[in-house]
Amino acid sequence: MSRSLPAVAIGCLLALVALFALRPGSPPTDAQRADALAHELRCPDCAGLSVADSPTSAAQEMRRQIVELVAGGASDAEVRQHFVDRYGDWIRLAPSSPVAWLIPFAVLIAGVGALTAWLVRRPSPPVPTPPISADERRRLREEAEALDA
Amino acid sequence: MRWRWLLIPIVVLPLGWLLFTGFSLDPRAVASPLIGQPAPAWTYTTLDGEELSSADLAGRPYVVNFWASWCAPCVEEHPVLSAAWDQHSDDLAMIGVLYSDSRDNAESFLDRYGRAGYPTVVDESGALAIDFGVVGPPETFFVDADGIVREKQTGPLTAESMDRHLASIGIGR
Repeated sequence: MSRSLPAVAIGCLLALVALFALRPGSPPTDAQRADALAHELRCPDCAGLSVADSPTSAAQEMRRQIVELVAGGASDAEVRQHFVDRYGDWIRLAPSSPVAWLIPFAVLIAGVGALTAWLVRRPSPPVPTPPISADERRRLREEAEALDA
Repeated sequence: MRWRWLLIPIVVLPLGWLLFTGFSLDPRAVASPLIGQPAPAWTYTTLDGEELSSADLAGRPYVVNFWASWCAPCVEEHPVLSAAWDQHSDDLAMIGVLYSDSRDNAESFLDRYGRAGYPTVVDESGALAIDFGVVGPPETFFVDADGIVREKQTGPLTAESMDRHLASIGIGR
């Protein structure tokens, strides 16, 4: 019994950690949701900035509309769609298709695979030389003897 | 083993083609989801202080041009818009939308480059620009008599592009 005590203690500790990590969090407030959505959407008249990070009047108006839509009961997906309907998928800073997220990993794996295959490829076998005939052997011996003489 | 050398053109040529075509595209020319859809409804005040609504234009094809006094390509296309208005004002409506700019600056622009004769509404909050999915001026939308957006021009209009877009809403054919 005393031998299994440490294992039981570690098990209990892990269970507590898992419970703490998986505890249900409090739902985000409207302001938190609006801020998160503003970070997901592209400012239309600046280069590569989110609506949350841009001071332009277009970004300010988009932030105002996000707050208004969230307060009006729109879901996150409905708020995103409100802007996608006007600008297309371009207005989202992150791609919506999961395939787009997989492409860099697929290219990385293919590259590592190609490099590994190139590094570990077997050396090509030596080209076999045809055996020397008896006639050639005789001529070689004669020429060697002539050189020695 | 020689076939491996074929890998170089097989990889390099498509990559080169992708880069060449990619860099020759206009990054602002975002395809508009509004094409083929009903134009957004709006009611705004013009520079002259009169209220104008999209409902007032029902049954007529119209052109919506987003512009600003600080926008150099807007100066470039201004004569094209004026000429189109002079030529087709009996058959269509044209509306300028002041984008992210002040009334005073807009008046100075029109004093300097000429008042074309069609109204400009002031989109102070930028809400109309968002409804049309505008990225930056000049952008021009061509709406047919049924209220459907038929085409969009990103960047300055030329006489040739103006004629082509107007034809899409049944003007000048």
